Amino acid sequence: MTRTDKRRHRMRKMLAWSGYTLLLVLLLPLLPYAIQAANDTQNNPAGYTPPTVVNPIEVPSPGAELWREVRQRDGSYVGDTQVKGVETGVLINKAGEDWRLFRMQMLVPYGAILMGAILGAILVFYFTRGTLRLAGGFSGKKILRFTLSERMVHWFTVALFWLLAVTGLILLYGRFVLIPLLGLEGFSVTASACKEAHNLFGPLFLFAMLALFITFFKDNFYARGDLKWLSKAGGLLGGHVSAGRFNAGEKIWFWLATLLGFALCITGLILDFAVVGLGREAMALSHVIHGISAVIMIAVSFGHIYLGTAGMEGSFSSMANGYVDENWAKSHHDLWYEEVKGTAIDAQEGKQGGGVPSGGVAQARRDI
Amino acid sequence: MIAQLVDGVFWNIAVAIFLLGIAWRIFAVFRHGARQDLAEPRGSAASGAIHTNWSRFIPRREIVAKINLHVIAGYMFHLGLFILLLFAAPHIKFAQDHVLGFGWPAMPHWAFVVVSQIAFAGLLLLWLQRVLHPVTRLISRADDHISTILVFVVMLTGCMALFESYTGLRVLHRFSVELFMIYFPFSSLMHAILFASSRGYTGAFFSVRGVKA
Repeated sequence: MTRTDKRRHRMRKMLAWSGYTLLLVLLLPLLPYAIQAANDTQNNPAGYTPPTVVNPIEVPSPGAELWREVRQRDGSYVGDTQVKGVETGVLINKAGEDWRLFRMQMLVPYGAILMGAILGAILVFYFTRGTLRLAGGFSGKKILRFTLSERMVHWFTVALFWLLAVTGLILLYGRFVLIPLLGLEGFSVTASACKEAHNLFGPLFLFAMLALFITFFKDNFYARGDLKWLSKAGGLLGGHVSAGRFNAGEKIWFWLATLLGFALCITGLILDFAVVGLGREAMALSHVIHGISAVIMIAVSFGHIYLGTAGMEGSFSSMANGYVDENWAKSHHDLWYEEVKGTAIDAQEGKQGGGVPSGGVAQARRDI
Repeated sequence: MIAQLVDGVFWNIAVAIFLLGIAWRIFAVFRHGARQDLAEPRGSAASGAIHTNWSRFIPRREIVAKINLHVIAGYMFHLGLFILLLFAAPHIKFAQDHVLGFGWPAMPHWAFVVVSQIAFAGLLLLWLQRVLHPVTRLISRADDHISTILVFVVMLTGCMALFESYTGLRVLHRFSVELFMIYFPFSSLMHAILFASSRGYTGAFFSVRGVKA
């Protein structure tokens, strides 16, 4: 067995054991429920019949009827009031409890599981496969991949996205993570500050999303070869797969980000401007869509960030200075490379096409 | 304790450094004086100085297409910042209670939100231009980035403290303003004051030579 084979074998073993551990961690919390269910079936094989509750007090409490009405157990009731406005006649909105339960029992735990699972998968992938090296190394010739305006739009959106993501996550998970660290008062101040920042930057994100969509949509439509790219997982399953300026994975990310981004913007505006006349149920629904979209977008963005930085050698420069190495273009986007290969420039001397990728006057001339 | 320090001693120190520093910088600039020009003047220095001060507010037609983003973002940020500084209700109240003794009408809350968004977008775009454009990246110094970050922090803490629900947030904003005031005289932020004399000198210099600058 050669050294490479030994290394591969070790990697496979590591991956397998990581998988078993992950499975175990996911299944362990279910164990008490399984034991309980088994006990119930054993004790009552015919099914569980709830005991008949007999009210020991014959005379009902005079307040009970009132509170039954107030809590609106029999359905929502709209009363009369001199205050005119949306739902001003509703004392208690029962749907609010449904929303609260969804937030606490679904969005918070499943959101954390989704983000944690993707982060975990990325870490496992990184420690098993490492950075995907550039086949043939760096050629020293550079090709312009993203113009200055494209990079401006991208980073403008990134800056706003992370400002909103961090403040949003603090609002969603702060009570679990920050209260033990900052205390109740400290978290209250932090949450208030985050809410203001989140509400303030939110509407700007709509403009960023519009700019991002207009800038990149034309190169993100389906093209022949995208299905093949997907079937081979972009070459991860072995062999070379052709791609244009954007591969199928990037296109999926673009349309997912567009869909989720606009969903976030629209629902965010509904939540931000509560004065437009929508009721609490519309607000609760907006919050549900907002929360789900945000959690998915943040989770998937981890993968995007990983592939654009540590995951793939030579990728980050495309968004940093606009240029990629010629070998990178050949390796990952060969169809696009065929279209632009005449524009390659020498990274050291700035010949041809007139540019010094690391930041020269000639590049500036092209960029401006 | 911290709130008292920030509102008291730190504030006094920051104001003193801010005012003395600016005075010192202006004195240093004017101390250099202007070189004596023995050539026969071909135009008025004063009219050149005034003309250039105003003409620089509008980009030259030849280059406007290439710097339009810079110009638009620049106006968004600067106008937004001045409107926030002068017409935000808490600022007017502060000026009335602690500095001037009188106030003026404040802008409504919705206007504050819109203006602060415009100012933030402008600042962010200007900083991205500084970082991403190969030429502006080369000519930018650490001072330029520190100045941008300080302004951003001041604006952000201000917005976070908008409703003044917590003393801590107000104190944080005021502390960031104090850091900004201490840094101001020794940085490129001084362009907020020196731009007029700088433009004036350039305009006068070229005007006496018969060049329209």
